[in-house]
Amino acid sequence: MAGLPEEFTPAFLARLEDLRIRTRQQFPGMGKGSHLSPKRGSSLEFSDYRHYSLGDDFRYIDWGLYGRTDKLYIKLFKEEEDLLTYVFLDASASMAYPAGDRKFESAVLIALALGYVALASGDRVMLRVLGGSGTRPAPVFSYGRNRAIELAERLRAVRPGGQIDLASALARELVAIRRAGKCFVISDFLMMPNVVTHGLGLFTAATMDVTAVQVLGGRELSGQGLSGDVEVVDAETGEQVRVSMGAREREQYRQTLLRLSREIKAFCLKRGMHYALYTTDRSFQDFFLRAAADLGLAH
Amino acid sequence: MGLLNPGALVFLALVPALALAYLAHERSSRVTVSSVLAFRALHALRHERFAGRPRFDWKFFLELLALTLAVLAMAGPYVVRHENPIAVVLDNSAQMKARTASGGTRFEKAKKELDAMLAAMPGESAVSVYLTSPEPHRVNAAPLSIAGARSAVRDAETTDAPADNGAIVNLLSELSSDSHYAKVIFAGARALAPPVPPGITAITVGDPIENFAIGSFTLKRESFGSQALHASVTVANFSTAPKTLKVTITADGKSLASAESNVQAGETTVLEFPSLAPAAVYRAELAPSDGFPLDNVAYATSGSVKSVSILFVSPTPDDAKGLASIPGVSVTTVAPDAFSPGECASADLAIFEYAVPKEMPSVNALLVMPPPGDPVFDFDTVQVRAAQITAWRATDPLAYSVNFRLLNPGAGEAFGVHPWMAPVVDGRQGALILRGERDGHRFVATGFNLFPYLGRRNLPMSILTLNILGYLAGVGANSGGYRTGQPWLVPAGIESVILPSGKKIAAKPGTLFNDAASLGVYKLVGRHGTIALRAVNFSDLADSDLLSAAPLKIASRAAAPKTRAVTTKVPLTIYLFAAILALLALEGLVVYRRRSAAGA
Repeated sequence: MAGLPEEFTPAFLARLEDLRIRTRQQFPGMGKGSHLSPKRGSSLEFSDYRHYSLGDDFRYIDWGLYGRTDKLYIKLFKEEEDLLTYVFLDASASMAYPAGDRKFESAVLIALALGYVALASGDRVMLRVLGGSGTRPAPVFSYGRNRAIELAERLRAVRPGGQIDLASALARELVAIRRAGKCFVISDFLMMPNVVTHGLGLFTAATMDVTAVQVLGGRELSGQGLSGDVEVVDAETGEQVRVSMGAREREQYRQTLLRLSREIKAFCLKRGMHYALYTTDRSFQDFFLRAAADLGLAH
Repeated sequence: MGLLNPGALVFLALVPALALAYLAHERSSRVTVSSVLAFRALHALRHERFAGRPRFDWKFFLELLALTLAVLAMAGPYVVRHENPIAVVLDNSAQMKARTASGGTRFEKAKKELDAMLAAMPGESAVSVYLTSPEPHRVNAAPLSIAGARSAVRDAETTDAPADNGAIVNLLSELSSDSHYAKVIFAGARALAPPVPPGITAITVGDPIENFAIGSFTLKRESFGSQALHASVTVANFSTAPKTLKVTITADGKSLASAESNVQAGETTVLEFPSLAPAAVYRAELAPSDGFPLDNVAYATSGSVKSVSILFVSPTPDDAKGLASIPGVSVTTVAPDAFSPGECASADLAIFEYAVPKEMPSVNALLVMPPPGDPVFDFDTVQVRAAQITAWRATDPLAYSVNFRLLNPGAGEAFGVHPWMAPVVDGRQGALILRGERDGHRFVATGFNLFPYLGRRNLPMSILTLNILGYLAGVGANSGGYRTGQPWLVPAGIESVILPSGKKIAAKPGTLFNDAASLGVYKLVGRHGTIALRAVNFSDLADSDLLSAAPLKIASRAAAPKTRAVTTKVPLTIYLFAAILALLALEGLVVYRRRSAAGA
């Protein structure tokens, strides 16, 4: 589709059309849709009975129950509404390093793909960028698959940068959005695990259905190509650490990163969240289609 | 230990340069990363290392070592080795076949004593073994150990060639003055005349032995046109008492004739054998037998009556008539314009009169008054109205028995300096006869015409002509036949030679045949399988006198100490290069295995 990144080939888009967002709980929507809503409505899914009141539609009277109880009851059905989908994209400075890994670009692709799945399913999507610079997408819901191009154009203007405190940033967003729904958080999560768990925990506390997508660079995972004595500087905090990198140290660094990822994953699964890890040395399309279940998507 | 090229050590400056480059490379670089979270643990590790830094890679040390070794190799290190090199000269000439009073041969006795002497030498000695026959030569290219030298001595064999005493004296003289040898051991039949140069130890096995010998065995036609041959056998008595010597002639296995004569001690006599029936090979055998049987047998072939084929290239073919009148000579005349180089293949020699070939002939050639400026021989000539001979080389085979004072060349041409031919006879304006060898062939150029006078009134001219033809035909200086150990020219048309032992050796016409160290009959095989026989006998009677052999007089060229410790420099460069290759191979192997493990 013109306007989308080149990774969104017609074949890939066709595969995305087959996917829909799966939630573990029902959320009220803003219009008709394909997700069951806690509201009463006119779907085929039975919800409850209530006493007949003057003016009720005769078609919903349960005549069988009237025969047994000699009282008129009206059958109530659940409503099917669209799903309010929130995609939070980490655009802090850490997403820009290592430069060759294109972490932020990969995160944008994931955000757009998730957004496209939601829009193609008739759901509403709100894209929120945490940190970064440039024009940010407006805090409004997009509706209809054509809006995917608009989302891509808005993200194209965003540049990673700055420092964010994920927990605080997510808390602010949570206050702003007010309405519960499906929530995707895309970040490298390279921060203290308690910060990550605190931030994600806020969403679960607000009865949101959360999927955490961790994006790590291929070189980043293998030691960033560092060798010898190196003074490493944190892209966000400016903290400096002097290290001597050798084969043994690179392996130790890699194991540390993987351990941090495992901690986040364990927290997510424990709290009923979805978790997926994407390393940028893999094919994006392959990852997205294979990890659909981990991302909270269903065919 | 030392260095052959110490200047190369300046390249050791590369070592600190490499170290500095490495340190610069290892210098702490500043890199911005997404998060230092995972690096903090490594930071703690870094402080566990002694002094925190610097950190060196093992590969760096390996390459630094390889570089240092390479610089050292360039400097050419060596170690000084003290050696005790010994030269062993073993006489393996025919005279060493003579039997001693103890029953064994001189050669066996010499080898036994030499072996005992070598066995007593220090084990680290390096030995060079020389044999003297058919010409002095070194057996081993590289010095041998004592065990190797003993083995080489044990394997040495005698030849039928006589000892070349002059060559042995030269060899011993050179070896004794050679500073590379601490000791020279000579084992031979002849003693060394005092004063023996220091450093030479002689093993003399030449006890006087009474010997009876055949000196020469020649055949000639009984009369012109007759098939019967006449044999002459020279016999000698090298003993202390008169002795009746009997010679029996056999041919093709049949006894033809015998004759005997009482020969006084130290005397020689000639036994004649008239009217011998025609045969291919004649064998003369002397009785009684003695301690040196080699010279009791001689061979002769009727091949000596074979005519010499001459190709005569001249615009005046009538000049060849005089040549054709020589017995045993056949002449083919060709005009210069009709001459082709292929015609030389069927001739023993070629004569170019007033002409030169357009390419170097493939046979020995005589050039009579060649035109100047030809591209092949490039003669520089001056026309002379009346050539006068002013000088000649009396020892030259061409000048043998020629009375040049009576020789009047007449009008002709004189040669200037020639690049590869040397003057034999000189005139006032330049050389009148040149002689030289090229591509294995003999060439003679004369500035005057020989042939109008041949066989007529000018006797010196006829002798000179026969000398030249004999020299070019390869028989001129060897009228006594062929002798063991003496090379001879391969005749035209011969492709291989079969030795008396049956071994076949390829041969090229016009070149010297050197494998003539065995006594017997040699078969010269031609192009179409034609076989010519050639008898090769033991040397002249002087070599058969085993009773009174004169000692060898060795001239010491330089005063040398009796025992010398020779030091040699053994270069270590090859070992350094081997170590460098091993280090690099080790590094490559380790890196490859680590990468393979990482890939797995």
